[in-house]
Amino acid sequence: MVCMMEGTMLLGNLEKSARKAAAWLVNKTPIRNIRDWGIAFSLWPVHFTTACCGAEFAASAAPRFDTERFGFLPFIASRQCNLLFIEGTLTKKMGEAAIWVYEQMPEPKFVIAMGACGIDGGIFWNSYNIVRPMDILPVSVFIPGCPPRPEAVAQAIIMLQRKIRKGEMVKYEF
Amino acid sequence: MTVEERILELLIGPQHPASGHMRLVAKIDGDIVVELRPNIGYVHRSVEKLAEVKKYLHIIPLVERPSLADTTANNLAYVMALEKLLGIEAPPRAQYLRTLLAEINRIHSHLYGLGIHGVMIGSSTAYMWCFGDREPFIEIAQELTGARLTYSYIIPGGVRRDLPQGFEDRVEKVLRYLENRMKDYFDIYFNNPVTRARLEGVGVLTKEDAIKLGVTGPNLRASGVPYDVRKIEPYAAYPELDFEVVTREEGDALARVFVRIGEIQESMKIIRQVLKNIPEGPIFHEKYVKMVPPKLREYMKETGEVKFPGTFANLRVPAGEAISRVEGGRGEVVFYLISDGKSLSPYRMRMVTPSFRNVILFEHLTKGHRVADIPAIYGSLDYFPPEADR
Repeated sequence: MVCMMEGTMLLGNLEKSARKAAAWLVNKTPIRNIRDWGIAFSLWPVHFTTACCGAEFAASAAPRFDTERFGFLPFIASRQCNLLFIEGTLTKKMGEAAIWVYEQMPEPKFVIAMGACGIDGGIFWNSYNIVRPMDILPVSVFIPGCPPRPEAVAQAIIMLQRKIRKGEMVKYEF
Repeated sequence: MTVEERILELLIGPQHPASGHMRLVAKIDGDIVVELRPNIGYVHRSVEKLAEVKKYLHIIPLVERPSLADTTANNLAYVMALEKLLGIEAPPRAQYLRTLLAEINRIHSHLYGLGIHGVMIGSSTAYMWCFGDREPFIEIAQELTGARLTYSYIIPGGVRRDLPQGFEDRVEKVLRYLENRMKDYFDIYFNNPVTRARLEGVGVLTKEDAIKLGVTGPNLRASGVPYDVRKIEPYAAYPELDFEVVTREEGDALARVFVRIGEIQESMKIIRQVLKNIPEGPIFHEKYVKMVPPKLREYMKETGEVKFPGTFANLRVPAGEAISRVEGGRGEVVFYLISDGKSLSPYRMRMVTPSFRNVILFEHLTKGHRVADIPAIYGSLDYFPPEADR
């Protein structure tokens, strides 16, 4: 492709070069820092309760623990969310739904697995109807406990924010 | 268009703020619900099957997990069935402590239900207030037992811990706080014209239907049936306590909410009576206290913390069957245990949870209502899917 601009002539695929330049710019320090800072403080978990840890998750969104101060507010539609919270056990039937929800979410997206069941099944480890979240989803942070206290949920959010702000989690590819 | 062509199938959930951990399959004609079928089983974790390979004492935490907001009811019901098989009875002080924890749990379980109902009908204030006021109750339960929700406090032969020092004063403070807050709740939420319009006359369950469908708990009492296991088949310290069964005649969503509020007030009455009348004495059955080594027995006397005797590791239960009933926050919890007398685990454990008995109401109550009434009815039932699916 050839493009003419006031006496200069540009050769090559302009669209591709523009995308390349944008990717370079977005992944370069000052803009990357601002971008990661923005993502870290706008984590929107999708409203998807998978098991009983939802009771503690609800408590952590309530006044005493108030995770909204980290820019973290459960939201309705998966298309507008970037964080999937696996709240406890993931059964086979719910695992299917979790994959659908995860695939609907836009990039960049993160997964936090809550509770001992989210790690390796916890008290239900030998149940015939559970799956491990790490087998089907890329989990970033695990929260141990059965059920974890709301403070632990807050800790997990801060850990994820730190991970994002280190710049390893998010990479834009064009 | 014919009726069949007009009818649209709408799938609500499992990822939906008003569906919880299940899917509602609604058939709608315009805005009117023709049929609503709950698709349950999203949280089925095979608790009953797992109980067959776990030891008797390890089942206590297992049966608590399905109903995380109301753990004491399951814990108490299981231990009561186990005690019937073992042929022992907890001392009176332990019975009073069990009652105390059950009532604290009932209050915060009801506040949980009211909060979820609030957010389902679009009142974030109700959610924030109920969950905020639930925390003091969780805190006093935590002081008594050491955990926020999963107490595992009740063990065969007694309870794990004695009352901490100065506990009565702190409980009284919390109770007075909630009593004062109740006025604000009525001003802002329960007597709010929006709440009234959303809930009054919605999802009416008649007395005959409620009995016929086998509904249980506050949902049954809201239809005017004074059925409460605490009165009909008293257990723990309930025979010695004075309280009333809260009923309502209307049977609509608002009545179900008001029954819960009435029960919170009755529970506060019970807690005050328990703390006033609690007898002195041991909190663990003397048969087991004798089995504890003397040094640990001294420690138990000093701190009020129960140390398990060695037999609890491999608890053997005589052959037989036992059934127990407990009135939990959401309704009647039934546990049925069969022991073959040889193995370390029960031959069969059956748990009948109130949520599973109430799930039939989804189909029954929503017929003919508008789509927007589905969350209003759902929330008013205080349905907890993990409890129903087990």
